[in-house]
Amino acid sequence: MRLRQILRLIGILNFFLGLFMLAPLVVSLIYSDGSFLPILYSFIITSGGGLVLFVATSTADYTALSQREGMAIVTFGWLSAGFFGSLPFLFSGSIGSLTNSFFESLSGFTTTGASILNNIESLPQGVLFWRSLTQWLGGMGIIVFSIAILPFLGVGGMQLYKAEIPSPVVDKLQPRISETAKTLWKVYLLITVIEIGLLFIGGMPLFDSICHTFCTMPTGGFSTHGSSIAYFDSAYFEGVITVFMVLAGVNFALHFKFLKGDFRVFGRDPECRIFLLILAALILLVTVNIYGTVYESIAGAFRRAAFQVTSIITTTGFVTSDYERWPASSQIILFLCMFIGAMAGSTGGAIKIMRIVLLVKYGFREIFRLVHPHAVRSIRLGGKPVPEEVLNSISGFFILYLGLYVLAVLIMSFLGLDVMTSLGSVAATIGNVGPGFGLVGPAKNYVSVPDLGKWALTLCMLLGRLEIYTVIIMLAPAYWRK
Amino acid sequence: MKIIIIGAGEVGFNIAQRLSEENHDVVVIDKDQNKINHLQTVIDVQAIVGSGTNPSILQEAGINESDIIVAATDSDEVNLIACFYAQYLTEYITKIARVRNSGYTEHSDMFKTDFLNIDLIINPQSEMVSSMLKLMEVPEASEVLDFVNGKVKLIGVTVKEDSPLVGRKLSSFQDVEQVLLVGVIIRGEEVIIPSGQDVIQPNDLLYCVTRKEEISTIFRLLNIREAGLGRVVIVGGGTTGLALATSLDKTNINTKIIEKDSQRCLELAEKLEKVVVLNGDGTDRDFLVEENIADVDLMVVITGDEETNVLISLLGKALGAKKTVTRIGKLSYIPLVSTIGIDTVVSPRLSAIRAILQYIRKGKVVCVAPLKSEAAEVIEFEALETSDIVNTPLSEVKFPREAIVGAIVRGEEIIIPRGHNMIKPHDHLIIFALKGAIPKLEKLFTVKLEYF
Repeated sequence: MRLRQILRLIGILNFFLGLFMLAPLVVSLIYSDGSFLPILYSFIITSGGGLVLFVATSTADYTALSQREGMAIVTFGWLSAGFFGSLPFLFSGSIGSLTNSFFESLSGFTTTGASILNNIESLPQGVLFWRSLTQWLGGMGIIVFSIAILPFLGVGGMQLYKAEIPSPVVDKLQPRISETAKTLWKVYLLITVIEIGLLFIGGMPLFDSICHTFCTMPTGGFSTHGSSIAYFDSAYFEGVITVFMVLAGVNFALHFKFLKGDFRVFGRDPECRIFLLILAALILLVTVNIYGTVYESIAGAFRRAAFQVTSIITTTGFVTSDYERWPASSQIILFLCMFIGAMAGSTGGAIKIMRIVLLVKYGFREIFRLVHPHAVRSIRLGGKPVPEEVLNSISGFFILYLGLYVLAVLIMSFLGLDVMTSLGSVAATIGNVGPGFGLVGPAKNYVSVPDLGKWALTLCMLLGRLEIYTVIIMLAPAYWRK
Repeated sequence: MKIIIIGAGEVGFNIAQRLSEENHDVVVIDKDQNKINHLQTVIDVQAIVGSGTNPSILQEAGINESDIIVAATDSDEVNLIACFYAQYLTEYITKIARVRNSGYTEHSDMFKTDFLNIDLIINPQSEMVSSMLKLMEVPEASEVLDFVNGKVKLIGVTVKEDSPLVGRKLSSFQDVEQVLLVGVIIRGEEVIIPSGQDVIQPNDLLYCVTRKEEISTIFRLLNIREAGLGRVVIVGGGTTGLALATSLDKTNINTKIIEKDSQRCLELAEKLEKVVVLNGDGTDRDFLVEENIADVDLMVVITGDEETNVLISLLGKALGAKKTVTRIGKLSYIPLVSTIGIDTVVSPRLSAIRAILQYIRKGKVVCVAPLKSEAAEVIEFEALETSDIVNTPLSEVKFPREAIVGAIVRGEEIIIPRGHNMIKPHDHLIIFALKGAIPKLEKLFTVKLEYF
């Protein structure tokens, strides 16, 4: 562990993060909403601090980062982004306490979309824009962004990439890691631009189009309105956003291959097929369940079900209807969706389809082995055998995920929250979804959670976004030993 | 350039590492998941698990956009089949194959022109034999490389303690500056591109460029007596041993070859005329003494077991052999051996890597040779008219600090340069450089490697 290297890269990261604050600065100028100075100060502190850190550690060389260093840079880099990202909220007075600001900021970067704001519409546009931008940056990864523009990272970039986008199998799309990162960002940017265009054409104000797109593509879920997407009450907007939530929930490597001309890639990819199948089945189930009981027309039921199921399973967290008024079976389906998540390699959170599929296959293999004790059988996905070490890592991930979930639920309940709130708030934060159940349900927000609970949930968000291992390893004594 | 490398063994790995560092896009294919995992954490390349003889894997690796395919697995057949598919999938790709079986290389024309269009067939063993033969031309040097068709020689020599150069600053070499230029000093594991202020110490390994005719002047300066090569002992009668012995069989050098296996000895004796074939164990001290190892000028130890090779060489040195050449396969051992007293190392893998890199980087880069420790290289560049460096005194050219011009070759003339010398268009420059300086040098020479 070389402290200099770690600090230097975190410095670079903060510098870039600060530069991104120039965008809301422009917005605040356009709207002259009074948030210009607070954002300017935030920019100066973030970029300036980053630059000082970068210059002060100029003797470090970063060419050969070890895996450990990569993990430290990513974890602490994200924490520092959460902190500096909260400055515009604090300085503008939009959010009073540090706890709340940090919660909102990290909820943004981790693309959770859990908010503590009661009256979102009253915020200055500049701050609202920053709030959406944090999600967009966090979706593809601030560190992947740095890798894309810092070619000197070389192999070190690979360590950071693996720590920030921890997928069961690492997809390197291009021979070089910086090219891979660039490619991902280009694809991300392209789909973002298309969605903004479609929303704007449909009549959504430009500001709202941009902000909502910035929160769709990373499967984030922040809205510029208190009632989220329900505010617009437009089937067109809901349709567009539903489609783009699905796109954001697909592995970006597939988008890349599609754009390169391989048009059948989505149908061929086994994980994608299963994802779409699960999505369709659950939408159908919920539609049938809420038709007649909550909604009079089948079209209305389908519209609400399609949006809400997609929003939760891709871990976006946009809301068009208060699903807590739905029948229990629909609520349970949504609760389970918070755990399933979207595809590996997408911007979505939670356990992810690939892991679920492999775990199920793993389970069936054990049954097969009981029948044929001497059988040797490898687990296949789409005809390709999956290495045992990948399976081990997935089982480990699953156990840790559930273990941490249970632990956090216990903490929440001891802080005095009711059963549904405890279960829902942790599921929604560790899965980077956003709205949960009970006190933190779709029609409410996280402001009523006790401060200690907010910090616990903040940690859950980070654990979920960086897929457990990268963060939890910081707690292992062996990690710090020389 | 985009380059596909099949096989992530030592040869494939090292080539991938070099090319990736030189900003080429590299895709490596190997069957072994573990090797691929390791590779990906150490070098910035795309790695694919799969067989290089599977066309769909080759396509996944992007063979259609690739410029070069290097088949460097341990298996000749896999390499040849990979080239076959590459030829089938993309007609104009440059194909390089590592082929070890001499049965195949004897008919290499078939693979090269008639059938597979393989551009370069590397036989590590014959590369190694030819580098050993070059070394025998200048037996006092630990390494000999040819530039400009052999007119300029790069030699590596170890400074003895009684050498008159010990303790002198390089800048004080007024008397020899027309003759030699020290390009790299290797001191222990440290690699130095020297400036005038550096002082020569005993046991330094110096790499210098010089004209072929002046090699003896250098040895005189270093107080090394040129004895010529009288007696050679080869330990190990495998294919390499046989190939080397066959070449020596035609010369007047008194050669003996030691082989453990008596059956093999019969075969050797049938094929060799003058060379004395001895059936015995090279690790047997008494046997070596009996064969008068103390009088031997050069002992070449090339059995199949590299650890044994090291021990036999040390034993031979202890018994009085003047110089040893040791075959070592594992590249990680190579920087260590000079510290334990082994003079010269040959390695089939290093030879293969050199030959492949040389070929890939061809273009205006005429010739490249990685030096012993792999941290430095000697490169032969051709100065283009369009390049910034021509017609300026060398002292004013913004050379990277880690590089030094060793020689300028202008037609028949060979100049060992000083600061006032100018580079003219079409001069060939021989440059010593640490690894990190190579991309900068390429820029300086505006040598775009997208030559193909």
